[in-house]
Amino acid sequence: MMRRSVWWIRPLVAVPVIVAAVAVVAAFTGGPVIMADGPADPSQVLRGRQLVLEHACSLCHGSFDPGQEGWVAGMMRPDQEFLIGPFRTRPRNLTPDNVTGMGRFSERQIFNSLRYGLRPGETADVEITSTTPGEGNFPINPKYLAPPMPWPAWRHMPDEDLWAIAAYLKHGVAPVSHKVEDSEGPPDFWAGAYTPEEIGTLPAAAFPTAHETEPPAGVDRAQVLRGRQVAIQHDCGGCHGGGSSPAADGWLAGITDPSDAFLIGVCGEAEAGPCFILRPRNLTPDGATGLGRFSARQIFNALRYGLRPSDATDREIAADRSNFPAEPDYLGPIMPWVALRHMADEDLWALVAYIEHGLRPATNEVEASDAPPDRWAGEYTVEKIGPYPATPFPTAYEVKP
Amino acid sequence: MADRSSGPRTVEVTLTAGPTRLSLVPGVETDAYAYNGTIPGPTLEVREGDRLIVHLRNELPEPTTVHWHGLHIPWYADGSPFHPIPPGGQADFDFTIPPGTAGTYWYHPHPHHLTRDQVAKGLFGAIIVRAADDPLPPLAEKLLILTDARFLADGSVDLPPLTSPEGRVDFENGWEGDLLFVNGQLAPTIAIRSGEVQRWRVVNASASRVYRLAIPGQRLLMVGSDGGLFERPVDTTEVILSNSERVELLVRGTGAPGSTALLQALPYDRYIPQTRPADWDQTRDLLTLAYTDDPPVEPMTLPATMRPVVPLDTAAATVTRVMSLTQGFINGKTMDLARVDQTAALGATEIWAIENLVGMDHPFHLHGYRFQVIDVNGVPVVYRRWEDTVNVPKHETVRIIVRFDDYPGKWMFHCHILDHEVNGMMGVLEVK
Repeated sequence: MMRRSVWWIRPLVAVPVIVAAVAVVAAFTGGPVIMADGPADPSQVLRGRQLVLEHACSLCHGSFDPGQEGWVAGMMRPDQEFLIGPFRTRPRNLTPDNVTGMGRFSERQIFNSLRYGLRPGETADVEITSTTPGEGNFPINPKYLAPPMPWPAWRHMPDEDLWAIAAYLKHGVAPVSHKVEDSEGPPDFWAGAYTPEEIGTLPAAAFPTAHETEPPAGVDRAQVLRGRQVAIQHDCGGCHGGGSSPAADGWLAGITDPSDAFLIGVCGEAEAGPCFILRPRNLTPDGATGLGRFSARQIFNALRYGLRPSDATDREIAADRSNFPAEPDYLGPIMPWVALRHMADEDLWALVAYIEHGLRPATNEVEASDAPPDRWAGEYTVEKIGPYPATPFPTAYEVKP
Repeated sequence: MADRSSGPRTVEVTLTAGPTRLSLVPGVETDAYAYNGTIPGPTLEVREGDRLIVHLRNELPEPTTVHWHGLHIPWYADGSPFHPIPPGGQADFDFTIPPGTAGTYWYHPHPHHLTRDQVAKGLFGAIIVRAADDPLPPLAEKLLILTDARFLADGSVDLPPLTSPEGRVDFENGWEGDLLFVNGQLAPTIAIRSGEVQRWRVVNASASRVYRLAIPGQRLLMVGSDGGLFERPVDTTEVILSNSERVELLVRGTGAPGSTALLQALPYDRYIPQTRPADWDQTRDLLTLAYTDDPPVEPMTLPATMRPVVPLDTAAATVTRVMSLTQGFINGKTMDLARVDQTAALGATEIWAIENLVGMDHPFHLHGYRFQVIDVNGVPVVYRRWEDTVNVPKHETVRIIVRFDDYPGKWMFHCHILDHEVNGMMGVLEVK
């Protein structure tokens, strides 16, 4: 199973904050489906913006909030590169600038990159109806986006959501001229890493797999299934085990190999600075080693506020945050709660329901992650991560369609 | 070669494209293709205004064409994929070289899907068009046709199938070889006398290799490009010559009698990172410039101005087109001979913005019409010149201006990395 973790994705040393790409799928709105570039639909653009926020696109591709400089404009500093084995990969400029961004790529090419992982600059602008090379316009030699772009998770999103993301990037974002050097990679453009054996099937294996269970009587089964979709489409398994396939070994059960941990900070250079080891934990409802130890509210608060479950988080946080923990203990910066928090309440609750009632408990004790004395509070100031809710549309870096 | 014409201002020749077996590298023979049995093919020398008649015989086991790269001639004579010559067939080309187009050109096959292999196997040759009033003084002239190749152990040209891992790398980078030839020779020597000035016409006939040319220790005087002389010489230390481009250099013998210098290909990173060759950063020697022992000759005075290159008027442009280049595609499409991608009015002046959207250089070639580069990434060019190919570096935009002043027809535009061209990075412009 392909895992985005240290053995094959090693953030470069001296990384202040590395955020693994994780996504969110929000409610299906059933808006109009644009099959190619056409007049932009404002509601579709706004839907796309919401998805871009929830799916953490800009955590790698720019900044945290649409009101911040660099929003989806690509990596700005060398330390935002990823080191995948021997290859440096670089989050590109997603704004509609013609030459340095995606302005000349059609919405269909953007759609194809999200659904099939195909690099828009190396793939024809055609409708694809197959995933078999040479058939249905699928390239004989597919050229895939470089890891850690989590398209194997994104591909599970409904068509409407992918078209909405494309519409937002083409019509809702201001073009920024910012050239990002091409990512490195193997000569097969990662084809060997993206086989069905490695990334699971599309659509995903039917519920329940061996790692899942039918919810007990009295639990809303539709909500559990919705939560399953949220988990798949938001790539929880990319770090917590199983990738985007609930049938894969270790699905959401946390890391089992210490080398799958993430290194955050100034690592590998003796005495150059602090280095923190972050270990994706066991999300299954195991009562001893997993999230079975925690209440639904605690899990919800972890997703919405980034709060590590504790007595102080087992309560509804008031809108005025009057009961927000005085000294919050945050999840480590690989966990993209900064993006996940923008999900609708019902999606977060659905994810919680899936974790509590749709997953089989798996026993896997994962050692706690390292943290600085401030429990990451200094990384999560409003100045750094932007406000919640996000800055209203359009910001200085966006345009009205 | 033999001019069969007895008429004034008419050059008539026969070119035979056929298989041959010869020794390109020491100790082994290669099954190659050649025009009239030689690699490179014979050099065609004409004057502005001459009528050129070429009888082309195809003795190859496959279709071919001959494209007169850079010449402004009628469409029927363009030798593009629209006019294949079958095996055993013959075609007669008959056209007149327009005035004002003196320069260095070349000819090569252009059959659909077969161009790369036929060029790689040896089908290429130079055309020199001379002006009656050349502004440069009489100088010793050297023609340098640059190619590269690689061979299997049995001496055959190494052309792996596209489906193989090596073929896929060739498809990305374009076919390159580790052996660099000048006029079909490895590491030849050019003699020069100290103080002498030589006029070099350099043709990049490689399928894909781009040459960053320099003679370390000497400066180069660049006096012309694809479409002939500039208005003024450009003094430089190096010249980047992308696929199919030509450059005219004045090489000044600034070395001492008895010394040597090297013409080298300096490293140039035109590659997409995924398939960039491990040895891309190596400097490669092309030829030795050997100074004779003769005492230096008096340095000669070179003209400060050469000829006017009248600018095409951007205000007269009625159409601006965008050509977006990606890896193997132009405007998201691959070649379809049955499709017309762009239609232009005969007589129109147009601006084309050629955008490279990907992390690899693409040299862009337009058939039939010469053009002027306006700017690169919005920065105006420093010297006006006529071109038929322009390199568009990674993620850069080159704007050109062109006037379709004659010759209606269907003209190709394409990436001149031949692997890209044969695999469809090409389109059709119809001028009517």
